[in-house]
Amino acid sequence: MPDGTFFSLRQVTKRFGTLTAVDGLSLEVQRGEIFGLLGPNGAGKTTLIHCAIGLLEPDGGEVVLSGGNPREPQVRARMGIAPQVLSLYELLSAEENLSFLGKLYGMEGRRLAERVAWALAFVGLESRRRDAVKNYSGGMQRRLNLAAALLHDPEILLLDEPTVGVDPQSRNSIFENILALKREGRTIVYTTHYMEEAERLCDRVGIVDHGRLLSLDTVQSLLASQGGLPRLVVETGGREIELFSADPLGELNRLAATAPIDRFRLEQPTLEQVFLNLTGRTLRD
Amino acid sequence: MSAILALAAKDLRLLIRVKSGLFFAFVWPLVIAILFGAVFSSGDSGSRRMAVALADEDQSAGSRDFAALLAKSADFNVRPASRAEAIGLVRKRQEAAALILPKGFGEASQQMFHGTPPKVEVWIDPSRQAEGAMIQGLLFQIVMKGFQKKMADTGAMRASLRQSIEDVERSKAPADQRASTGRFLESMDRALSEMPAASGPGGGGQGAQWEPLSIEQHDVAIQQEGPRNPFEITFPQGLLWGVLGCAMAFAIGFVSERTHGTLFRLQMAPIGRVQLLAGKALACAVACLAIEATLLAIGRLGFHVVPHSWALLVLAGVSTVAAFVGVMMLIAGLGKTEQAAAGVGWAVMMPLAMFGGGMVPLAFMPRWMAQAGVISPVRWGILAFEGALWRGFSFQEMLLPCAILLATGVVCFAIGTRTLRLT
Repeated sequence: MPDGTFFSLRQVTKRFGTLTAVDGLSLEVQRGEIFGLLGPNGAGKTTLIHCAIGLLEPDGGEVVLSGGNPREPQVRARMGIAPQVLSLYELLSAEENLSFLGKLYGMEGRRLAERVAWALAFVGLESRRRDAVKNYSGGMQRRLNLAAALLHDPEILLLDEPTVGVDPQSRNSIFENILALKREGRTIVYTTHYMEEAERLCDRVGIVDHGRLLSLDTVQSLLASQGGLPRLVVETGGREIELFSADPLGELNRLAATAPIDRFRLEQPTLEQVFLNLTGRTLRD
Repeated sequence: MSAILALAAKDLRLLIRVKSGLFFAFVWPLVIAILFGAVFSSGDSGSRRMAVALADEDQSAGSRDFAALLAKSADFNVRPASRAEAIGLVRKRQEAAALILPKGFGEASQQMFHGTPPKVEVWIDPSRQAEGAMIQGLLFQIVMKGFQKKMADTGAMRASLRQSIEDVERSKAPADQRASTGRFLESMDRALSEMPAASGPGGGGQGAQWEPLSIEQHDVAIQQEGPRNPFEITFPQGLLWGVLGCAMAFAIGFVSERTHGTLFRLQMAPIGRVQLLAGKALACAVACLAIEATLLAIGRLGFHVVPHSWALLVLAGVSTVAAFVGVMMLIAGLGKTEQAAAGVGWAVMMPLAMFGGGMVPLAFMPRWMAQAGVISPVRWGILAFEGALWRGFSFQEMLLPCAILLATGVVCFAIGTRTLRLT
């Protein structure tokens, strides 16, 4: 494994009957980064995550976490996951959920109580710790899902669509949590089909479709290499002119010299554009 | 091990939180046991007569009169039999008591206020002391009725008295005793000649010490061939319903863990598949044992459901739980969703319960139905409990049902864990 690489997938393939969900995909995640897996629903992100955590055995290729195979329990214990499907016991309270999970990770006594208290405080649920989870809002359940992933202090965190169905307030809270974890130096793999989330949070992004990795780079590099030119829209003399240019300011000056400009706007390339350019369709197709 | 215990504790906590599951696991089996037991009991109580077998070894006029009075009595339901048959019926609990009228009963019954009174042997289960005392009281009542009848018939009464006077004169009793009894009987005779309709036993002197009936009570060693009360049939049924309901609840709960994603989280934890399944099995087993213990405690304290062997009862309980933990795993393996697991589970378990004696007691089942029931673990579970409660099984006799239950558990558990999808 190269220096700095913490987690790697090498030529991973996973098939379900005739469907190839992951098709020879390779990527490496660096220690301390937030790595985004961006792709539409059904692109193979969740299958890839399940292979990465050792829940599914790849039909081909291998998964390596800092020298170990996640299918081994002691290696898997170094990972934390917040699955897309909420994995909580609704009839138990937040505290009971976390205490139970902590025991599965070998915690007990004071250490368990401290970790439970920390995790609940981290996601802002300490005041509701004794309430049954079924009485929580969707956003609170998502936050508890994150707390469950963090409880055992994992080295790497895999967050599978952690903001699905969440209100804006809880979404912001989750973003702040994730950024705080990054500041602590935690390695995070973040899957989403919301490009704005990837842009806001991720250091590097891998774009996945049909089980294949289409592109992988920093957000800025992807935007620069695959996003196309910035789009300048100018209104003049009752007409709207659209221009794609690497020098939008120069174009704007040239237009202003020929006719008065009523209004203009500049649109920078987005990951949505990157995905469109790479696949010919939008993320939400 | 701590992970297994944590898994089991979590599942038990969830079981307690689901009120409907708790109801069907604990309350419903109790309702079945008590309700059906009460129904069967009320069938018995339609006749308040005490069932007795009567052996008339004397075959005299006096003994036949006494037998006729017994047969007419509203307190007894009399079945004529020989001595051996009568005692055998008590031994098999088919009659409450055996009444034997030995040779000499009729002759003794003719003696009034002197001599040896007529003797009745009462053979009864020593544990039925209250019924024994009741029978004695009722027999005295019947004898007194016979006495009243004689007193009302002055002709017959005077004939009896004359016979008694002659008997007393011929007897070898001390002279003063013969004289006082003779005077008493003479005075009775005179009184009867003056008041032909006089009734009721009277007298003094020796007559005051004389008893109209001598009852000799004997214990009968009971041969356990039937339940002591209907609850001994219905509680095993209730136990099986409880265990079955519990197994179903855990099977559906297991599938629910998969569909709701919590199983995914469990698999992410550093525990193996074996630990995960062991935790589930342990929780189910503990819950089933708790149900069994609760029902048996209620049966023992409130409904006289008493095992003939506590050790065999434990063996029956553990074997039944083992079988149904396996069944739980099999159903969890077969059902892809909660609805499918419930559908498949009840579709399989209802016929097994029906043919296994969960609805109709094994003893009342048509022969073909009872034979078909051998494929049902419910039948073997009920048989094991009945064996420990009232069938009087020996350890060797318990081996068959318990071995079948354990084998069922192992096979179902193995198939269930192989077919179980954790993802």
